[in-house]
Formats: sequence, structure tokens, C-alpha cells
Amino acid sequence: MERTAAMTFPIETRLLVEDLITRSAMLIDSDALEEWVASFEETGRYIVLPRENRDLGYAIALIKCEKRAILEDRLTVLRAASKFNPHVDRHILSRPCYMGIEGDIVSVQTNFTIVQSSLDGVSKLFCAGVYEDRIRVSGDGATFVERVAVIDTFSVPNLIATPI
Amino acid sequence: MRVSVNWPTTDYSRVPYSIYHDPEIYALEQERIFKGKAWNILCLEAEIPNPGDFQICHVGDTPVVVNRDEDGKVYAFVNRCAHRGAEIVREPRGNGTDHTCIYHAWCYSRKGELTGVPFRRGANGKGGMPASFEPKQHNLQTLKVESFKGCLFGSFDHDIEPLEEYLGPLMVDHVGGLLDKPIKILGYQRQRIKANWKLYPENIKDAYHGSLLHEFNRTFGLSRLTQVAGGYMDEKHRHSILFQFSGSDSDEVALRAYREAGVQRGELMKLNDYDMVRIIPENDKGMSTRVINLFPNGFFHQIANTLAMRKLRTLGVDEFELTWTLFGYEDDTPEMTEHRLNQANMVGPAGLISMEDGEALELVHRTTKTAQNEYAVIEMGGVGPIGDRDTRVNEVTVRGFWAYYSQLMGIAPEGAEQ
Repeated sequence: MERTAAMTFPIETRLLVEDLITRSAMLIDSDALEEWVASFEETGRYIVLPRENRDLGYAIALIKCEKRAILEDRLTVLRAASKFNPHVDRHILSRPCYMGIEGDIVSVQTNFTIVQSSLDGVSKLFCAGVYEDRIRVSGDGATFVERVAVIDTFSVPNLIATPI
Repeated sequence: MRVSVNWPTTDYSRVPYSIYHDPEIYALEQERIFKGKAWNILCLEAEIPNPGDFQICHVGDTPVVVNRDEDGKVYAFVNRCAHRGAEIVREPRGNGTDHTCIYHAWCYSRKGELTGVPFRRGANGKGGMPASFEPKQHNLQTLKVESFKGCLFGSFDHDIEPLEEYLGPLMVDHVGGLLDKPIKILGYQRQRIKANWKLYPENIKDAYHGSLLHEFNRTFGLSRLTQVAGGYMDEKHRHSILFQFSGSDSDEVALRAYREAGVQRGELMKLNDYDMVRIIPENDKGMSTRVINLFPNGFFHQIANTLAMRKLRTLGVDEFELTWTLFGYEDDTPEMTEHRLNQANMVGPAGLISMEDGEALELVHRTTKTAQNEYAVIEMGGVGPIGDRDTRVNEVTVRGFWAYYSQLMGIAPEGAEQ
């Protein structure tokens, strides 16, 4: 992605963007997933995409929620029906790299690793990747217009239940 | 190698847990199954459409290069240099006129023939290979390759029966139906499951778990034990298909049955958007779900409108990798493609009706490791002779797997069901 005029981003914009990105990691890690989903706009997209599909131009994702209502559905199923390895996630984020700004929408990329720990206290690197976010910054704060988590660990260790 | 397995019954209604953990059994499987008399799925022709296109595949744990030559024919060879054993092709896919090992630059044709040994005659009149060295004797080990309607299979046994005969009429009908028109690859989903590989074909042949483990199936009627359904096999019981007809039961009947069985504790969950579970009719048999296992490493599914070929690669006795290659058809409308992409939320490692399988298999593998003198109990659908059943309350197809597996491995008990 071409990077434009990054250094001219107002500091207030950066603070709101960074707070959304950091807070969203903390919300997932503390299982406050309903609150996390609320940080998406109604038409907000959330996609988990294997890096190989991105490189090959294939559209198949692991998770593909084209609007917030569908992300809410995934959460409903996760809470009510899904069975998966009980675990604790810990997202470790890089500083965000500002890629561009268009109107009130900021494009920003943040590297992440997720360390997953079992309930008996064993931690393993679960996933490495990059968030490609489009975030709307307005007087009310910052919201996700789109989050694409491109994962390098696309041969997934067992399964992905909780959001990346 | 002498390997024996203590089967307590001759109908495979008991499966010794040691069979998932014994490294000698694993080694024998590589020889007798993956490198033996079996057709393994390699990849789809659509993944290597042009001359020179190659892809790395695995047959059991053996790395194999599958590539298309100038004449359009597909060749496959073991990806291991005949000189010192180094991996030759290191990219998962690509296009090339030949394949050169990086170590000493030995070069191979697309057919796996050794075509170049640098400084074979020495340099400045010194060194080089002895005059007795014959490149033709150092070609790479090849596999016999056949295509069934665009799905490529390989076998190390060059005398194996023709592919269509191996598949048998049932599989030719169903897999053939899924591949009846030109396909379009939509992408990959991959996962590594820390469990013995055999637990996966067992899972795919296990009709019983589909709506008990996967509550999403039960809730939205994609698969229920109360539906018109079945588990069928080829005549040797090595391949299988589980199918059902959604809408052949009602929510009320299903809810009552699952409540009485003690598994449905609350009301059925509701969604904002039901497009995910909407089925656009597209197969003439009217089946809403078909899940197919082609012994030993191949799988196909049609779950609502998601279509995939899955293949399994062994990674030692304790782990396997599963690759899901999702596809649609060349003549799909943009709306149909989008529908397939959205329904892919149900499948793969994050799939709403498939993530549980990985977890269940790891649970079994983990806890049977310390119970290797004990046995699994497989009696749903009845014991004794192995055959088709018109219900999902059924595990007979799992016994079919063990019957064929044991024959191929040479470990079947005296008087065993076949």
C-alpha cells in the first residue's frame, strides 16, 4: 500500500486511532467481545485472511463478516454453540504505521502476534500477522470501517474460535 | 517389519487406542498405504493449468512435486535430490522449465529425470564423476498420475488399478457430480491438528457426531439425526459418503428429539442474517450436504453451497495438516461466488460447523496416549457385517475404514469383516 503524507496526520487523530487499536486488543484478550464488536460501524467489515490467499489473489477468508450484524452472529454462535480449546489470548501489537488519510478515514497497519495460553498455564505463539485497518475518526471518537487481519500463520494451529 | 495389532473383535467395533500412537504402525502406514496400493489426491488441475506450473504436495509425509509439461501432461516425482537428499523445489508453487537443487546445482526435468550434474567430467582434467556414473540411474522416484475430472491423483504403485476402478461407481457418481463442469479455485484454508491422521477419516465417516458436536448444524437444520440421511460406501468399504436432506424434518420434531436425548438444553439460537445458511439448490440429487472420504488422504464436501476438496498430509504419528481447497464453477454468477465466499464461514479451521472437529480429535489423541491397552467402542448403527445405513445415527462407515485399512496393512484379524 502506498503511503501518503503520514507525517501531516494531526496528533489528535493519531491518539484516537491508536487508542482504538490498543483497546480492541485488550477487549478481545479480556473476552469483552460484545464491546469489541460495538467498535465496528454498522457497515464495518471484519475479515481474517490467510496471507497465501492474499498473495494468490484468492478471496477465501477464514472469517468473513461483511457487516457488523454478521460479526454479531459469529459471536452469538461462539457463545451458544461453538466448542473449542479453552484458552486465554494475549495480543502483542507493534506501533501502528500510518498509510493514508481520505476524508475522515485513516488507513493504518499494525503488526500483531497472539500468544495463546491454556488453562493449565502453557503459552504458545498462536498467530502472527498484520491488521490492515480503515478507521473513521470523528468528533465522537474512532470506529472501524474495516479490519482485515492478514495472517502469516495460515496453517492454523488447530482452530480459530475467538477473533484475531 | 512385524507389526501386529490386537483387535478384540473381528467386526472392528473395538479399536485399540495404541493404533493412533504406535510409531511402528505409522512407519508401516507410510509404506503400505501412502506409498502402497492407493491413489492419493495430489491437487486439482486448475491449480497448475499451464505448462511449467508446479505445486508441492505431500503423499503421507513424502514431499512430491506435481507439474505440467509442455505437452500438457502432468508428472509427479519425489522432491528429494538424488545426490545428497536435499529438498529440490522450495517454493510451494510456481512455474519453471526445470528444477535445480540449490546444494550442488543438480538439475532435473519436469518428468524427474536427472539432466545436469555440474562438472561431471571434472575441471582442468581433474576430479569429476567416475566414468561408470550413469545419470539415467539417478532419476527421481516418480508417481503414477491420473486425473479424474480435473482432480489429480498419484500412486507410488505403478501397477495399481485404474483410478476410476479404484474410486468405484458411487464415488465416480458423487465426486464426478461435483466436478462436472469447469471449476474456479476460490482459495485455501489450512490447519494443523495435533492428532493421529486416522482420526480424521474416522471423523469424516462418523455420521453420529455431526449435530451433537456441531450445534450450528443442529440449530439451523443443516444436519440432524432426525433427517433423511445416510452413510454409504464403495464395495470395498474404503471410501464413504455421508449425506442428508435438510428440510426433511421440522424444527419442532428435531427440538423434541434432541431435548428427549438430553442434548438440547435451551431454545435454538437466532441469527441477524440467515444468508449464511441459505441453500441455493444446485445438485440434482437434492442433497443439502455431502461429505466424502476417498481413501486414504482425500475428501470432498458440498455443504450447502460451499464446495471443497480437502487433503491430508501426515506430520508424524502425532500431527497432520489439512488443506481445504475451496472452489466454485467458472460459470458462477458474481452473486453465487459471493454466496460461496460467505458460506465459507461455516468451514475450515474457523468454520462454524468445523472448528469443533480439530478440538475433538486433539482431545481423543491426548487422552488415549496413556490408555494404549484400551479400546474405542464403535457400535452405533449395529455390529457385525459392514454395510450402508439410511440414517446418521450410525458409525458403521467408521468400521468400514478399519476393515479396508487393516487389509492393506496386513493386520486384519482372522475371520474379520470386510
